[in-house]
Amino acid sequence: MASNEPGVSGGGSVDGHLSRRGFFGQAAAVSAGVALVPPAAAVAAAQPVEAAANAGLVDVAFKVNGEPKKLSIDPRVTLLDALRERLGLTGTKKGCDRGQCGACTVHVENRRVLPCLTLAVSLQDKAVTTIEGIADGETLHPVQQAFIDHDGFQCGFCTSGQIMSAVAVVREGAARTDDQIREAMSGNLCRCGAYPNILDAIKQVQAGDR
Amino acid sequence: MRATPIGQPVDRVDGRIKVTGAAVYAADNKPAGLTYGYIVTSTIGRGVITGMDTAAALASPGVLAVYTPFNPLKLFAYVQNQNDESAPPLQDKEVRFHGQTIGFVVAETWEQARDAASLIRTTYQQQPPVTAFPGPPAAMEKADTDAEGPDTVLATGVASVAQAVAAGEVTFTASYSTPVQHHCAMEPHATVATWNGDHLTAYTVTQGAVLSVRRLSETLGVDAAKIHVISPHVGGGFGGKWGNWAQVPLACAAAKALGRPVKAVLTREQVFTLAGHRPLTVQNLKMACTADGKLTAITNDGITSRGFAGSWSESVANWTLTTYASPSIQVTKTIVPLNLGAATVMRAPGEANGSFALESAMDELAERLGLDPLEMRMKNYATFVPNTGKPWSSKHLDECYRRGAEEFGWSKRPKKVRATVDGDWLVGTGMGTATYGASRGLASIKVRLSADGTASVSGTAADLGTGQYTVFAILAADVLGIPVDRVRPELGDSTSPTAANAGGSNSTCTNGPAVQVAAKAVQTELVALAVTNPKSPFHGKDPAEVVYRDGSVSSGGLTMSFGTLLTTCDVGSVEAVGTSPRLVDPEHGFRSFGVHFCEVRVHRWTGEPRVTRWLSVMDAGTIINVKAARSQIQGAVVMGIGQALLEATEVDQGTGRFANGNLASYLVPVHADIPPIDVRFLDHPDPLISGLGAKGIGELGIVGVAGAIGNAVHHATGVRVRELPITLEKLLGS
Repeated sequence: MASNEPGVSGGGSVDGHLSRRGFFGQAAAVSAGVALVPPAAAVAAAQPVEAAANAGLVDVAFKVNGEPKKLSIDPRVTLLDALRERLGLTGTKKGCDRGQCGACTVHVENRRVLPCLTLAVSLQDKAVTTIEGIADGETLHPVQQAFIDHDGFQCGFCTSGQIMSAVAVVREGAARTDDQIREAMSGNLCRCGAYPNILDAIKQVQAGDR
Repeated sequence: MRATPIGQPVDRVDGRIKVTGAAVYAADNKPAGLTYGYIVTSTIGRGVITGMDTAAALASPGVLAVYTPFNPLKLFAYVQNQNDESAPPLQDKEVRFHGQTIGFVVAETWEQARDAASLIRTTYQQQPPVTAFPGPPAAMEKADTDAEGPDTVLATGVASVAQAVAAGEVTFTASYSTPVQHHCAMEPHATVATWNGDHLTAYTVTQGAVLSVRRLSETLGVDAAKIHVISPHVGGGFGGKWGNWAQVPLACAAAKALGRPVKAVLTREQVFTLAGHRPLTVQNLKMACTADGKLTAITNDGITSRGFAGSWSESVANWTLTTYASPSIQVTKTIVPLNLGAATVMRAPGEANGSFALESAMDELAERLGLDPLEMRMKNYATFVPNTGKPWSSKHLDECYRRGAEEFGWSKRPKKVRATVDGDWLVGTGMGTATYGASRGLASIKVRLSADGTASVSGTAADLGTGQYTVFAILAADVLGIPVDRVRPELGDSTSPTAANAGGSNSTCTNGPAVQVAAKAVQTELVALAVTNPKSPFHGKDPAEVVYRDGSVSSGGLTMSFGTLLTTCDVGSVEAVGTSPRLVDPEHGFRSFGVHFCEVRVHRWTGEPRVTRWLSVMDAGTIINVKAARSQIQGAVVMGIGQALLEATEVDQGTGRFANGNLASYLVPVHADIPPIDVRFLDHPDPLISGLGAKGIGELGIVGVAGAIGNAVHHATGVRVRELPITLEKLLGS
C-alpha cells in the first residue's frame, strides 16, 4: 500500500522542492482513504493517514500578485484553499470545487487556471495572479471598470472568475466576434444571468485596446 | 432642487468591492481559531440508520469531533415553517432522502474534516424510496390551494366547472409537466459561527438576517437577542437561501460545543441534496371557449411533489386564477410526498411552472381557432382580477403587448408553423405573458447623518445581487437631496431595524417607502438638534423657521451643510428610524405585468434548439434603478431559458439519488447559450401600492419565458413539447 512508499513519512520534500516520488506517494495515501468503498479496506487505509499527522507537510514557495509566499502545507490543499484559507485572499471564490463553474479562475504564469483543480504544492516558483492583484493601486483594471459600467454582475460571486477570464480573453486577442467571446467565456457560469452585460464589458475594453 | 436619481441608470454602489474581490461573503470569514466542519450524507434514499462506525474518523489527524444521530448535537425542534427542512439534522435515525445529513465532522482543517468524513462506515436498514408520481392519483394528498381569493369561480347558472367545460363550443385538454430543478446560486451555502460566552455571531448565507436569527433561536434554545447574524453579501439566492439548511444549526451548535469557531460550507453536490429544489409538477388543464376565442371555463388540476423532509410544495395551478378572464375557473392542488430532499421556493414558485402550462395552452387553443396568439390573449384580457372580480391597482399589460409586438415585428410573423427555414435551421417566434403578485409589507429603516457629511441607511434587508444596496442609496439620496455616492447603505445585519427579507419580489416595494420615511424623519431630528444645541448657529430659533434642503439646513439667510452643522455642534451623528406599515387593501388586486417575445431556431437535423432573439416589456410600477432592474429581468430570462431548454435534475428511480447533482451535469445556461436580451420598462407608477409606486421585479422576468420558448419551438417545427425541458431528442425528426 501507500504506506510502503518512502516519500510518505519523509514528507516528500527535498531541499524545499517537492519530489515526485514523495508527492505521488502522499496523493495515493489520500485517495485510498477517499475512494475505497469496502469498510475493511477503508479502516486499513486510515492508518497511514494517521501516521502522517504532522509529518506530512510540504514546503512550497511561489509568488501571489508579485509577493513571495512560503507555505508549509498539507499536500491535499488546493491552490484555491491555499489562497482563501492560508493566504487570506478570499476574493477568489469556491463555487463548485470541481472545475465545473469557473468562479475560482486565477492566472498562473499569465494563463487561466482553475485553482480548485490545482494542488498548491505543484506551484513551486510559479507566479499567481488573483482578482486582488489586477488593479493599479486605486485605479481599476479596465476590465473591472467595464464590468461596473455595463453592470456585468449581480450577486458578484462569479465576478472574480469572470474578470480573470475576461482579462485573459482580451489579452490573448483570439476572440473578436460576439460569438467568439461568448464561447471563450463559456467556462464561467453566471447564475444571475449577466452574460449579455459581460459581453458588452469585454467589447468596451477591446474597443479601448484598438 | 437637484434632479432625482430615481429611474436613472445608476452604477451599483457595491460595484467596486465586487469587481476587486473585496466584498465579504459568509465563507470568507475566518475568526481566530477557526475549525472546519464537513457534512456526511446518506447513501440510500429511504430507511433507518442501524450503525455508524466513527472510530477511524475520530482517530484521523486533526479531528475534533464527529457528530451523528448516535452522538448528536442537541438541536430543538423547529417551531415555524421556513420552506426548508421540517426538523433539524441528526436528531433521529430515519433516512428520508438520498444525500440527507447523517453526520458532521469537525477538524482543524477542511482537508482533515473531509477525509475523516470519508472514513465513517454506515449501515442501514433500507426501504425502497418513493421517487416519482404514482400512475393513478390514489396515493396523493388533496391539499389547500393557498390561493389568494377563491380557487373556484362559477358563472351564473353554472353548477360546476366540469359542466361549464363540457358546454364549451370548443374544448381543449392537455397535460404539462416540469421536472425537479435547482437554484444553483453560484455561492454554496456557508455558515461561520463564533461564540463569545453565550452570545453567538453567525456569518451565514441568508435572504433575510432575521430569518436566520429566528431559526437559530428556536433550534439552539438561545434568546434571539443574543444571536447576531451578519450577511452583507449573498452570492445569489433565488429562493434557495430563504430557508436555513443543515449547515446553519450544525456550525452554530458545534462551535458552542467545542468552544471554537466553526465554518461549514456545503459542497456543490450537497447543495443539490440539502438545500432545496423546485418540485416536480404536472398540470392537467381543461379549457373551453366560444368559437371566436372567448374563454368560458378553465380547470387546472395541479400536482406537486413535496420532500418527506420538508413541508413546502408548489401551488402550481394558481396562476390560472389571475391571468385570463373566464367566467368559470377552478384550480386544485394535489401533493405527492417523495423521498427527495425538501422542496422549496425557487424564483416565481408556482408562476414559473404554472405559466408554462397556461401560456402553452393559450397558444394551442389559438392555433386550433386560427387566431393569432396575441389576439387570443387580448380577447381574454383580464380587466378585473379573474377570480375575485376586483379592480387592479394598476395594469398596463395591453400597452406591454402593443409596444412589444411593434418593436419585435410580431405582425410579420407567418401564421403557419414551420414556415421559415434559414439554411439548416427552422425559425419560429413565440410570446408569453408574465405576471407576478405585488405586495407591501411592514419595514423599518434607520437613516443616520454623520459629521463627515455622509448618510448611512440600514435595515436587515438582503442584496442577493438584486441591487437592493443601490436602491437604498438612490432613495435616501433623493429624499436627502445629496449625491448617491454620499449614502452608505448597510444591509444584512440582524441588529439593524427589521426590514423586508429578499423574497416574493417584496424588497423594494416594502423597504423603499420605509427608506423614504426614515430619510424624512432624520431631517426633523437634524433641525431639532440645530435649534437646541448651544453650539449651533441656529440655536434658539423656532424649528418651523429652519428648513432642511439638499443636504443643508437654512434659516434667515444662513445655510450650513449637515456635516458642517454636526461638526460645529461636536455631535457625531443624528439618526431616525422610519417605519412603513403593511399595505392592507382588500379592494384591489396587485400584480406586476409584462410580456416576452422571442425567436428560436431549431436545427432540422439535430433538433438542437437555440434562442436567438429576445424582447421583454415590463409594467412593474416605478423603476428605481433602470440599470440594475434591466439586468434583473435579463437574468430572469436567462434562468427561464435554462428552465425551458436545459434544466432537469434527473432522479435515479432505484435509489432516489440526484444523478446529475453537480454543475457539469445539471445544465444551467452558459454564456454561449444566451442571445442579446432587450428589456424595456413602461413608466407607470402604481398609485395604490405606495407613494413610491414601485412593484416587484425579481420574479416577474422568469414568468412566461418557458411558455414563450415552447410556443416559438412549436412555431418553428410544428412540434408541441409539453414536458420541460424542451431538449433536442424531443425535437428529433421534427
